Amino acid sequence: MNLRLRALLTVIVASVLLIVIAVWGTLIPVEQMETRLELRNLPPSISHPFGTDWLGRDMLQRTLKGLSVSIQVGLAGAACSALIATVLGLAAATLGKAADRLVSWLIDLFLSVPHLVTLILIAFVSGGGMRGVIIAVALTHWPNLARIVRAEAMQVMTADYVAISRRLGRSRRWIAWHHVFPHLWPQVLVGFLLLFPHAILHEAAISFLGLGLSPHEPAVGIILSESMRYLSTGMWWLAVFPGLCLLIIVRMFDRLGEQLRLLTDPRHARL
Amino acid sequence: MNKGSRNRRVDKNNVMLAILLLALLVLAACTRSTDADVKDETYARTEPATGRKELILAIGSEPEEGFDPTTGWGRYGSPLFQSTLFKRDSEMNIVNDLATGYEVDDEGKVWTVTLRGDVVFSDGVPLTAEDVQFTFETAAKSGSVVDLTDLERVEAVDEHTVRFVLKRPNSTFVSILAATGIVPKHAYSDDYSRHPVGSGPYRLVQWDRGQQLIVEANPLYYGEKPPFDKLTFLFMDEDTAFAAVRAGQVDMAQVPAAFARQNIAGYRLVNLRTVDNRGIMFPYVKAGEVEREDGYPVGNDVTADIAIRKAVNVAIDRNKLVEGVLEGFGTPAYTAVDGLPWWNEESVIEDGDPARAIEILAQGGWSLASDGIMEKDGRRAEFTLLYPASDLTRQSLALAVKDMVRPAGIHIHVEGKSWDELRKMMHAHAVLFGWGSLDPLEMYHLHAGTMKGIDYFNPGYYENPVVDAWMEKALTARTEQEAIPYWKKAQWDGKHGLSARGDAPWAWLVNIDHLYFVRENLDIGRPHIQPHGHGWPVTDNIGEWKWID
Repeated sequence: MNLRLRALLTVIVASVLLIVIAVWGTLIPVEQMETRLELRNLPPSISHPFGTDWLGRDMLQRTLKGLSVSIQVGLAGAACSALIATVLGLAAATLGKAADRLVSWLIDLFLSVPHLVTLILIAFVSGGGMRGVIIAVALTHWPNLARIVRAEAMQVMTADYVAISRRLGRSRRWIAWHHVFPHLWPQVLVGFLLLFPHAILHEAAISFLGLGLSPHEPAVGIILSESMRYLSTGMWWLAVFPGLCLLIIVRMFDRLGEQLRLLTDPRHARL
Repeated sequence: MNKGSRNRRVDKNNVMLAILLLALLVLAACTRSTDADVKDETYARTEPATGRKELILAIGSEPEEGFDPTTGWGRYGSPLFQSTLFKRDSEMNIVNDLATGYEVDDEGKVWTVTLRGDVVFSDGVPLTAEDVQFTFETAAKSGSVVDLTDLERVEAVDEHTVRFVLKRPNSTFVSILAATGIVPKHAYSDDYSRHPVGSGPYRLVQWDRGQQLIVEANPLYYGEKPPFDKLTFLFMDEDTAFAAVRAGQVDMAQVPAAFARQNIAGYRLVNLRTVDNRGIMFPYVKAGEVEREDGYPVGNDVTADIAIRKAVNVAIDRNKLVEGVLEGFGTPAYTAVDGLPWWNEESVIEDGDPARAIEILAQGGWSLASDGIMEKDGRRAEFTLLYPASDLTRQSLALAVKDMVRPAGIHIHVEGKSWDELRKMMHAHAVLFGWGSLDPLEMYHLHAGTMKGIDYFNPGYYENPVVDAWMEKALTARTEQEAIPYWKKAQWDGKHGLSARGDAPWAWLVNIDHLYFVRENLDIGRPHIQPHGHGWPVTDNIGEWKWID
């Protein structure tokens, strides 16, 4: 099996798995998540592979639901972030010096403050909840990608055909949209995928700190923070399985992004 | 190296960094306090020696506002550094402490209290009527949680006699006299709360904020000398306190129900009965019926229907909540005052019966729609139940209740909110509140028509003239004893009442036992029924504590 095929296979398997989890999580019927006080605090068994929590809820179902929530938050946050990055990066490269200076200043500004601090601030100001988390993730994760997009776009701007196009009287915006943007597409896609794991982890982190989703919603960060209370009583399964699943999902997105880059980046595309 | 792979490495590093960060957060949460606490030598393992004259306690949170009774310190339990005019014995009767007795005039407005003559503050200055006058005047001015709105004036008649003049008769006034520690006029200043001087059994030695409080016996205390010369209160979170018990470092520690089922050698579990209750408050009026000045919405069309409120009350299985959410450490709650002398036992209802709940709803004009939710005139039987997001017990109760009323065709949306948000939303949505005072006035505050929408009192705008009349009679009674029959009638008089038998403005759920791991040979006497957990009510009877051989 050559490298390319392997990369392709990884991409397909990972995407299918992630989509299945995301969809499965949303399709779990409410009854499965009900409290069943007579079944509480059970260690992992065949009927409850991840055990049950202190209200008798099945941890496997909660974890799946939580991962699905995380994936959706990650998707929305990363997508918005990628959009902001593309628009700003493109604007910096194509709309002249003033725009470039402004965007670079913005990027520096966001990069100079620790990520998590900005994240917490924005989540807090926007009132927490699903919306708050998505806004916070969207507003904090774009600078790195924006830099890449800007550099890439600047390279394209020096190409001959762009110069010709400009001589022909095309406006800057027209050039940005028709000549530069199509070139950036693969970069943006990969960047978007690599933002994903950050978004998920940061969602988990702010939910863990209590600034994210409502505390009874089964987001992974919430599950983890709840489990802290029960660790001293020996209920290890409340933290271990959800934590492990989060790690696996994050790694999976990471792999997906890397392999996709291998496939789309002409410098790496080997046969 | 080309740009692509460099970026990739940076991204990868960031991901690993983020994972590490999350792991660190998790770790930080569980080890934070342990690290800080262990270094102090006080925490070194103490031998469980009988006859040791000192105790180390980890029994609840730090009173961050300090120890000033005029702003609320000690109102839920013993003020420790100060003493009160009266106190409650283990049967909840009012007995003398600083006072030798009291008299109320026929109108019920003038209370005359006589004081012991032999009391001195811990600095040696005698305690006189002037100090009592000063205490209550300061408390009334402070505008704090100490509710003295009914007090018109207080005056020192002579050195050992104080006269309280009330604006209107109030039989519960004796509870305030039993809850307010007397502060010294001569030694009261702005930082009194940090350096309290009083006539109580203990005096403060050292307070390290966030860590510990050390007190020693007050040699000038007039009452029975406590058997312990020195008490150290450690401020720990629940996990740390539990770990300290396991390591044998403390003599007594408060723990949540989740930890209580474990056996720890050398300790026994003490569960104290409480009125530390949790219940669901229902908005009692229809939406838009009442307008507030601050514009917060009032009323809820679903919970304004008595059939819904009664059905919820009947569908809930309170015993199952105690067993399942509290691990068995609690009692079912039917009113805000269960187990207190003024509780009406007739308020107990049969519950855990969804079929009966469906009957009640059917009689109220509700019928099952196709999706299993009740409907009436096109309105679905669903409402939002809010709980303070930081409180895991209330969250668990809310979720369990939601699933318990579902078979009766009632759908509850559960939402966790901050207290700021709750304040804005509590008049229009059901809220899981917790109360539990040893003062009957609280029942009045929660249900009286005059208290509608004031602070956290009666947020649902409940009002029933019959109930109000009973409570008014209770207030105007001359003594607490005389008032008791009226308080009981307010809960249920055979036809009307503020309990679930009557108007059901609340669905009370459980009273939460206070749980302590206590060293096996430490006897903590017979504490009276415990109030809502602020301060250290358990130390109220510290004079009775002793080692057993």
